[in-house]
Amino acid sequence: MNIEALIRPELDSGVPGGELLLAFADAIIGTDRAALDAARTALAEGLGPAAVSGAASVAANFSKNDRIANGVGIPVDDMVMKVTEDIREQLGLNDYRSAVNTFRHSAD
Amino acid sequence: MNFYADSDYPVRDDLAAIHGSQMETLGAPGTWGTGAQRLAIATVARKAGIDAGLLEAPADMDFPVDLGLPDIALRVVERLAVSPADFDLAFYEESLRGGLSDCEFVEIVGLVARATNIDIFARGIGVPLRPLPAAMPGEPSRVRPGVAVTELAWVPTIPNPPEGGDEAVALYGPNPKPYIIRALSLVPEELRAHLELEQVQYLPLNRILEYDFQHHEGLTRAQVEVVAGRVSAINECFY
Repeated sequence: MNIEALIRPELDSGVPGGELLLAFADAIIGTDRAALDAARTALAEGLGPAAVSGAASVAANFSKNDRIANGVGIPVDDMVMKVTEDIREQLGLNDYRSAVNTFRHSAD
Repeated sequence: MNFYADSDYPVRDDLAAIHGSQMETLGAPGTWGTGAQRLAIATVARKAGIDAGLLEAPADMDFPVDLGLPDIALRVVERLAVSPADFDLAFYEESLRGGLSDCEFVEIVGLVARATNIDIFARGIGVPLRPLPAAMPGEPSRVRPGVAVTELAWVPTIPNPPEGGDEAVALYGPNPKPYIIRALSLVPEELRAHLELEQVQYLPLNRILEYDFQHHEGLTRAQVEVVAGRVSAINECFY
């Protein structure tokens, strides 16, 4: 998988149907209802009707997790920080506002 | 009847069932909030999403003008519902100064996260937002876990075993768990509800390291991770 596509969805993710899933993910938490309707239809045609509820389930679940993580200020666990150094740098994740919830402990 | 029987797309029975049962809990007395207060929180979260254009209002939905929540609770709910990237430690501390307890804050976060989850799913499959439940009578239990301490999150959490003792083992099992599993442990009822959804909507947590395990019909694990990663990138979730 080309994980840079998660930040720049115009790139090829290398995952079958990736462009359909990226468009659906953008639309389901976006404000353009027509774009969501179009993305849903395209996803069903491309990966099958069950993929729509599956993708909606995952998108909704991670919307929940993002609200929990950002809402109570949890840090990324040490082990994960160690193995994601290159990825975080590549994707610019260290610049996210919520990154401070982890980095504020760095001097401890 | 399936909670999403009106969907044009197939929805697994276990997913429909957990959403149906968890929707009811939004109007039931919790650990710190009454049924009316919790329903008000879910209602404000939904209204904030509609006002921001992130959700579409159902034709028959009528929002009360005054839901009876204190101003600081309204602000927490509205910000978390529509702009989770804008939450920071200063806002949490402002919430405490505004009169919320740490336990009440955690319960609100859990409720907003779960209510938003159900609403986003409904929007995703193209059905109207599900009706919110009626508020149920009764008093909150008001039980604070005795072993919760300040670790590295803003809010107190129950440590992993062995430090967290029997309560930790009951919630997490015998092995250490990452913060996303323990984040809501100051209100164990919310933690359990969050994990129930996680098991059904993402994948069973005991299979998380099986990269060829397929939990969703029509989606490989790699395809699942594309959706998960993109949503978290848009929400600017470092975790």
